[in-house]
Amino acid sequence: MSGERRTIKVDYLARVEGEGGLLVKVRDGRVVETRLDIFEPPRFFEAFLRGRAFTEAPDITARICGICPVAYQMSAVQALEAGLGIAIDPQVRALRRLLYCGEWIESHVLHVTMLHAPDFLGYPDAVRMAADHRDAVLRGLAVKKAGNAIVALLGGREIHPVNVRVGGFYRTPTPAELVPLAEQLRAARDQAYEMVRWVAGFEFPDFERDYEFVALVHPDEYPLAEGRIVSSRGLDAPARDYDRHFVEEHVPHSNALQARLRERGAYLCGPLARYALNAERLSPLARAAAREAGLGDVCRNPFRSIVVRAVEVLWACDEALRVIEAYEPPARPAAPVEPRAASCYGATEAPRGLLYHYYRLDADGVVLDAKIVPPTSQNQRMVEEDLAAFVGPRLTLPNDRLTAQCEQAVRNYDPCISCATHFLTVKVEEA
Amino acid sequence: MATRVIAMGQAAAGDDGVGFAVLDRLRHDGVAADVELVRADEDAALVDLLRTRQAVVIVDAVLGVPTGRVVDLQPDDLAAQGLTPVSTHGLGVVQAIALAHAVAADEITPTIRIVGITIERPDRYAQVLSPAVAAAVAPAAARVRALCAG
Repeated sequence: MSGERRTIKVDYLARVEGEGGLLVKVRDGRVVETRLDIFEPPRFFEAFLRGRAFTEAPDITARICGICPVAYQMSAVQALEAGLGIAIDPQVRALRRLLYCGEWIESHVLHVTMLHAPDFLGYPDAVRMAADHRDAVLRGLAVKKAGNAIVALLGGREIHPVNVRVGGFYRTPTPAELVPLAEQLRAARDQAYEMVRWVAGFEFPDFERDYEFVALVHPDEYPLAEGRIVSSRGLDAPARDYDRHFVEEHVPHSNALQARLRERGAYLCGPLARYALNAERLSPLARAAAREAGLGDVCRNPFRSIVVRAVEVLWACDEALRVIEAYEPPARPAAPVEPRAASCYGATEAPRGLLYHYYRLDADGVVLDAKIVPPTSQNQRMVEEDLAAFVGPRLTLPNDRLTAQCEQAVRNYDPCISCATHFLTVKVEEA
Repeated sequence: MATRVIAMGQAAAGDDGVGFAVLDRLRHDGVAADVELVRADEDAALVDLLRTRQAVVIVDAVLGVPTGRVVDLQPDDLAAQGLTPVSTHGLGVVQAIALAHAVAADEITPTIRIVGITIERPDRYAQVLSPAVAAAVAPAAARVRALCAG
């Protein structure tokens, strides 16, 4: 076997948002290289923000991704409001939480039902799976529709919502407008519970990793739009200190940046991290579902992330209903906003994990500098390390099965490559 | 026959927003009373929108050259003609149509036609159409109108 080489190469990763490739190189029975290539063309959103009014940031950043526009809006407004010293109305805060729940439901259900479940059930895609699992697909579509309805009502549109502004909303709903939403969400909550049971019955590869989990932690709530950045190995910092603890680096094989903890390297953000650091803050119903699904307080098997996502869908339905039941229209839809020179830092929990925003404004509120660190670029290094650990013991598998399992492993992280906004700057040297 | 016109795309990705521009043109010029104009910003939403007894016309950008060409297609034609629907979302247009057939064959529209406008792959934020694609908006709207008139 000496000198035997084997290469697993997937030029196009299906069911991954954006475009990416995967390369695993094996020599003498040992994994010598794993690479998750990202070759989505640069989108230049950070550069585009420079010179624009701070009030435009929520709408511009919402365009980065068709799957999680609310996350970009929420991180943008949280950063700008913190930097400008704007206190938002508690009911506005609650409505934003409701809006974010809508996006979690939309995004997670799409991933769980349409993009990831086919891997576990042995189908090439959701269409082929639907022939045998019609009810599960219809249930997924129904739950997703409830999420769409929230985003459509509060965001103004189902995708790329336009109703969020710095200081609040352009328009807030009446309680009567939320009534049909509540009815839809009650049905969706029951269906989400069924979804948890469904995915908990899948077979999962025996694979655990000793992750450093990174997620927001809020003292009273499962984290969405605020909290401190906490890790399972002792990090506890406000969003403004993000750059003190995390660094992004260029790697030769990808035109996206990879993030790491300055002290310790790769880390994991997203559902597993949120759950590990916040399980006790789930609603009683979601906790019960998690227990029934066999999740302990910490889950280190990335393949089980599909179960955690389903639990988070259930929680989001529950939380959305809680917000609706307690809703009283705010006195005004938005707090007044005055521009000033400021450094603005914010972090929220996008469906895929921590989403950090930074803006530097001049006295007129013009954006001088912006930085956006999406969860996909934060997880990319960990995806590669996981793949190396995963492939090693499975080298006896035939190539097609090993390739399929590697693709499934990448989809564990629900990478949103369109969101990987940090790309290499190409330097052209002139002679 | 009553018709639901569904525009798709990504308005922030330049030419990928051409479907919405066509819809805006139809809305501006007016359509017959039995024509419903709908915007779907996400492919998975198509599954529900196809569950109708109305005929359906989907208006969307497709990757192809030369740009600015209006092509009248049925779902099966896309691959055959070397045209790729632009999908920046988790589920493509073709997959969404196939999924609708798989889960709700008895409930979905009897007729799906696609009016595609060829574009290059979008690679950056832009909220305006290129001149070639902008010039295709009026003919695409006319084509949709003709399909609605049967």
